Amino acid sequence: MRGLYVHIPFCVKKCGYCDFYSLPARLECAESYVQAVIREAYQYGRLSFQTVYLGGGTPSLLGAGRLKTLIDGLRKALDLSGLAEATMEVNPESATRELLEAAREAGMNRASIGVQSLSDCELKSAGRIHTAAQAVEAVGLAVTLGFGAVSADLIVGLPGQTWLSLRQSMEALLRTGIEHLSVYCLSLEEGTPLAKSPPSELPSDDEQAVLFEQASAFLAGRGLVHYEISNFAVEGRECLHNLNYWRNGEYVGLGPAAASHISGKRFRNRADLDAYLDDPTDLAEEIEQLNARDKACEEAMLRLRLLKEGVGIGELTARFGRDNVGALIGRLERMTSQGMLVSDGARYVLPPSRVLTSNPIFAEVLSE
Amino acid sequence: MDNVRNFCIIAHIDHGKSTLADRILELTGTIHTLSNEQVLDSMDLERERGITIKAKSVRMPYQSGSGEKYLLNLIDTPGHVDFNYEVSRSLRACEGAVLLVDASQGVEAQTIANAYLAIDAGLEIIPVINKIDLAGAMIDDCLLQLDDMLGLPGEDALLISAKDGTGVPELLEAIVARVPPPTGSADEPLKCLIFDSYYDSYRGVIPHIRLFSGSLRPGDKFMVKSTSKVFDVVEVGYFLPQATPCEKLVAGEVGYVGATVKDIGDVRVGDTIISPDHPETPEIPGFRRSQPMVFCGVYPISTNEYGKLKTALEKFQLNDSSIVYEKETSAALGHGYRLGFLGMLHMEITLERLKREYGQELVATMPSVVYKVFTTQGEVMMIDNPSKFPAVQNIDHVEEPLIRARIIVPSELIGPCMELSDAKRGTLIGMEHPDRRRVLLTYDFPFAEMVTGYYDKLKSVTRGYASMDYEVAGYRRGDLVKVDILVKDNQVDALSFISIRDGAVPKARVLVHKLRKLIPRHLFEIPLQAAIGGRVVVREDIAPIRKDVIAKCYGGDITRKKKLLEKQKEGKKRMKMVGSVEVPQEAFLLLQKLEE
Repeated sequence: MRGLYVHIPFCVKKCGYCDFYSLPARLECAESYVQAVIREAYQYGRLSFQTVYLGGGTPSLLGAGRLKTLIDGLRKALDLSGLAEATMEVNPESATRELLEAAREAGMNRASIGVQSLSDCELKSAGRIHTAAQAVEAVGLAVTLGFGAVSADLIVGLPGQTWLSLRQSMEALLRTGIEHLSVYCLSLEEGTPLAKSPPSELPSDDEQAVLFEQASAFLAGRGLVHYEISNFAVEGRECLHNLNYWRNGEYVGLGPAAASHISGKRFRNRADLDAYLDDPTDLAEEIEQLNARDKACEEAMLRLRLLKEGVGIGELTARFGRDNVGALIGRLERMTSQGMLVSDGARYVLPPSRVLTSNPIFAEVLSE
Repeated sequence: MDNVRNFCIIAHIDHGKSTLADRILELTGTIHTLSNEQVLDSMDLERERGITIKAKSVRMPYQSGSGEKYLLNLIDTPGHVDFNYEVSRSLRACEGAVLLVDASQGVEAQTIANAYLAIDAGLEIIPVINKIDLAGAMIDDCLLQLDDMLGLPGEDALLISAKDGTGVPELLEAIVARVPPPTGSADEPLKCLIFDSYYDSYRGVIPHIRLFSGSLRPGDKFMVKSTSKVFDVVEVGYFLPQATPCEKLVAGEVGYVGATVKDIGDVRVGDTIISPDHPETPEIPGFRRSQPMVFCGVYPISTNEYGKLKTALEKFQLNDSSIVYEKETSAALGHGYRLGFLGMLHMEITLERLKREYGQELVATMPSVVYKVFTTQGEVMMIDNPSKFPAVQNIDHVEEPLIRARIIVPSELIGPCMELSDAKRGTLIGMEHPDRRRVLLTYDFPFAEMVTGYYDKLKSVTRGYASMDYEVAGYRRGDLVKVDILVKDNQVDALSFISIRDGAVPKARVLVHKLRKLIPRHLFEIPLQAAIGGRVVVREDIAPIRKDVIAKCYGGDITRKKKLLEKQKEGKKRMKMVGSVEVPQEAFLLLQKLEE
């Protein structure tokens, strides 16, 4: 299993909470950007990929024509013959019928829609440029156009948000027929406008936690399984591309700021659009090559995010060798006896009560 | 020997001692170019705090106006109230003292204290008014104060500006003319005072010495009077200011002796060095042993560094024999040491230096004075650690140490100063008017009030204009209670404190509140309690944390989020475990800041 991530670093306007690499008002480079991505893709020769994910930024800003050029180019550069899932992130305001049809035609079969909330007040306070109505319409359109899986992102902890408004957002979304929701607790990332001047009505961490737990219970009642810390899906509708991240699989990221994990090595492209347009093949930095023991810890940390699947002693031992996982399994055992993890003897999972306080557990898992 | 002059410069802090030392070094050609760096203050910390902590000496050749050649030895002295002991030690190595007074400030509390020490040591005092170039110089006032407050005739004083050099050549002439040459003979049996020392990792302990009689040369043997241990002299020399070996040192001179002393306990500052052929040679008298006044516990952050701390303290004591330490075990903090200091500044500086010079991560507990506890069984216990207080029912009464403080304050600020002193349980002993602008107040205070920041407060209510000095003044009975702090039902011995009964609960309330702000939220609720004699008087709870999660972790986040988790984990390593609660080190310093 190998995933391909393509970063589209364009936005109409940056949202208040966003710390991803995206540049408002650089859309004029879109054409040459698509060519640069294809050039970079050739570096990975005939590697085969089972999932593709167009993320951003705002991939839907590319427009129908350039989207087709991009996908066609990638198909030539790489082996995408065994593609099982092709996701595109879509923002409500640019989710035109023309674009979505083009995406379907190009072979995209999953849409992840940046809804965030269905309260216009909350959307505004987060610096989103679309309305609730536009968001519902975009989701409905994607479902109608036959995207096999449609997902929506929601944020918990937006300024002014209440349980009522959050529940209304979820209910309206579920009515459209979507089967996947990503629900993120808002975090104030360093350097973002929201972190610099947080509005007074921002829910506290405690209030966020309550909202999130209420949301989780609500979604469980509607048949959506809480399968990863921030992700809920009808069984069988989990995002394959993201599952691969959490199972510590291989992936290639194309574009500035995109990260890759191949042959045990992690690295990311420098976040510099101009340099990338100049030469997309020589921007790898933050290269990290871990030894087997650290790699095993990292994998356990990632897999524990998967709340149902967790991490198995068998798969760790098989992948890293008995010698490299002894200490780790010892730690997992101890943490189980301390109630931080739950185990059936073969696998370890995070108990539901610790999902929102999982950082200390992960830190412990990593402390080889 | 007739042409040797051993002298020191004594002054209130910031009256220009280091600048004058630099100017003298320059004038005598000891150093040629001078940056702004102050030569004698070699420790970073000294420069930062503007005080000279460790005594050092420099030898300077000098040709007087009459053509006569002299050797001047400048012995540096510390200038803060805490360091009286080190001052007196340095003074013992001199025959004369330059008493420096800032013309714009006048005689200050430490000017008086240092002058008294010099007079007691029988030194020839040369009063010098410095900074006469300043617009605000009040030379006549200063001369008057010298006469009134210290009995030093104004006509004996020299007027200088160390900064631009005015009057400094005349000062050198005065030193030669007025400071008596050392007495004692090179032919008599060896007798030297160790007035300082430093540790050289290659050559061992290097004592700084003043020879009172006899001589010392490589190949000689010497005996340390207090231990009768004998060592071979490998090298003798003096400071220019860098260490410079010489053929021999003779009576009257100041220098160092290298003797492969490896055990730092063998050569103590303040000891007398004599000849093994004359073991009957008496000790140098009048050498005051300092009494530690403030104690605190010092613990390594990680328990396995206890050995490193021990070595560091051993080395430290070599450079500063006024520090005392002994093993201590705290239920909350593990194994550590209880350290005794001369005063608060001494403590702060020592802890900083321990951390810096020896690379030790330390937790220092709140400082305590030494209480005299009279038990119902009729015993008297000296208690320097609140957690060692006997149970309430076993205490008959408690006495606390007093100091007598001399405070000089501008007349218009006498109100706030007296108000503060009253709030700090001061008893006014006397009030004098040394000149028309200022008042000299004498107060008795419980020393514990100094520990909780009286001096800083005084500085702030008088906008920095007050100066203070103090001396120990016995014990006085007080209505004192011990307050215990419990973190999730575990009593934290390192947070116990002694307070007068009236102020105990308000203090406990502030402490518990600050602890609540400081201790991070855990996954469980943490009750914080303060108790007096087993009765809970204050309680606050730290609510359990609800959210500590990385919501987004996708391909691009993995390495960064992992680093975030590792950083979180690192932060925890700097905490001390109290039962199951991680307590930041700062918590143990809170008590000092209770009154801010």
